[in-house]
Amino acid sequence: MDYFITDYKTGNASAVALEDSIMQKNRPVTAGSKILENFISPIDATVVTRLQNGNFPIAGKLKMDEFGIPPVFADLPDELSSAVRIVADNKAAFSLCNDLFGKYRRQAPEFGCCYIHPGYGTVSRFGLIPLASSMDQIGVVCKNLRDGFELLSVIAGNDVNDGAMFPDKAYVYKRADKKPGVCVPGAALSRASERSRESLKSFASGFNPVSAELPYFDLYKQLMCILSCAEISNNINRYDGVKFGYRAPGYKGINDMYVKTRTEGFGVETKLAAIMGAMVLSKDQYVPYYEKAMKIRRLIKDSLRFDEYDIIALPCEIEGGGYENLGLFALPALLGLPSVSFPYNGGGIQLIANVRNENLLLTAWEECVA
Amino acid sequence: MINIEDYEAMAKLSLPEAERSLIRDRAQALTESFAELERVNTDGVAPLVTVLDIKNVLREDVAVKIITRDELMSNAPEHEDGYFHVPRTLD
Repeated sequence: MDYFITDYKTGNASAVALEDSIMQKNRPVTAGSKILENFISPIDATVVTRLQNGNFPIAGKLKMDEFGIPPVFADLPDELSSAVRIVADNKAAFSLCNDLFGKYRRQAPEFGCCYIHPGYGTVSRFGLIPLASSMDQIGVVCKNLRDGFELLSVIAGNDVNDGAMFPDKAYVYKRADKKPGVCVPGAALSRASERSRESLKSFASGFNPVSAELPYFDLYKQLMCILSCAEISNNINRYDGVKFGYRAPGYKGINDMYVKTRTEGFGVETKLAAIMGAMVLSKDQYVPYYEKAMKIRRLIKDSLRFDEYDIIALPCEIEGGGYENLGLFALPALLGLPSVSFPYNGGGIQLIANVRNENLLLTAWEECVA
Repeated sequence: MINIEDYEAMAKLSLPEAERSLIRDRAQALTESFAELERVNTDGVAPLVTVLDIKNVLREDVAVKIITRDELMSNAPEHEDGYFHVPRTLD
């Protein structure tokens, strides 16, 4: 399988592969889009600088969905991501990527890998091509969470070039003193496949699980769609053919240049996100859609009971197809929570902790797997 | 049915008919699913705009150079004498 966007690759199995939304100076960075097909990065992303300072070789730049928007958004067939496959095939030790919609968290356990989605504000977004700025976070595909958290400690930490970060300059991830309390929401459990359900029950049985629900679980997918499309449409406004990137030929006037460039430069999923974003932010739709979604987002935050449990355990797939599963992975993005996914007893497990509690995720994994 | 053409113009797009049909159908399905939000009472609830309790980040008002003009212009589709070259913007 060809994982990389160009011939630039080291073939080093201990290296870190970068999704092609992470900038590396003087290398192409395309975010999987024609509209950036000729763009050469003038800077290194902070995560790249930190990897290089830690003497981690960079394997290369990975092929990806355009801007990280999965085909399931447009209800089209999905593919195995290069970021997961390269680690599963032992061609790289880790991949770094932005898993906004949960594609890597879902796929990693299917192929014997794990994924770490850090809490928002932990890893610098400087040099990451933005998708949804209030939700973007660079995470780690790894073979086991212990190694993955060690790599995370290399790239995490406050960066003056990212204005939305915790002040901690460094993080050390280690096993917590206590065994975490786990909640398995019934709404997600009942919709999991039989294999996933048995896997989740088996995992939870080792933790004296607490009975609790996610009251707005069925609305997570709508919120994720509205809020992410609003931010995506805003972030991709910069792709206009003026200062960088693809410029369409044969235009007549400035507006025609914008329209031709963006129509030819974007794929169908990006165009759908742009149009949905334009709609939910428009004068007549802003209040019933965007503002409503932000209010429900606060209700969701208030509905979580991290005083009664430490970790929410979910399956990595539920019935209903791509749009339904968008909701399954939405909570970490909506509230900036850290999460992990890993294979367990024939299924995939997704764990979500409260802000700044990545240690409890590592602890839970070590309790049941290590 | 959603009037896709209005939002195309806002997004600075002009969709080929096959894409317009797919996007219209998908946007319609997604929008119909948004109707479920109406059953949630959000009276008096403040929107959650950002997940972090962060203040605006400020720095000293001192000029810093992180990139040169040549580096900035190197990705420009067309440029001339240090300016980005674009069609006329004013009539």
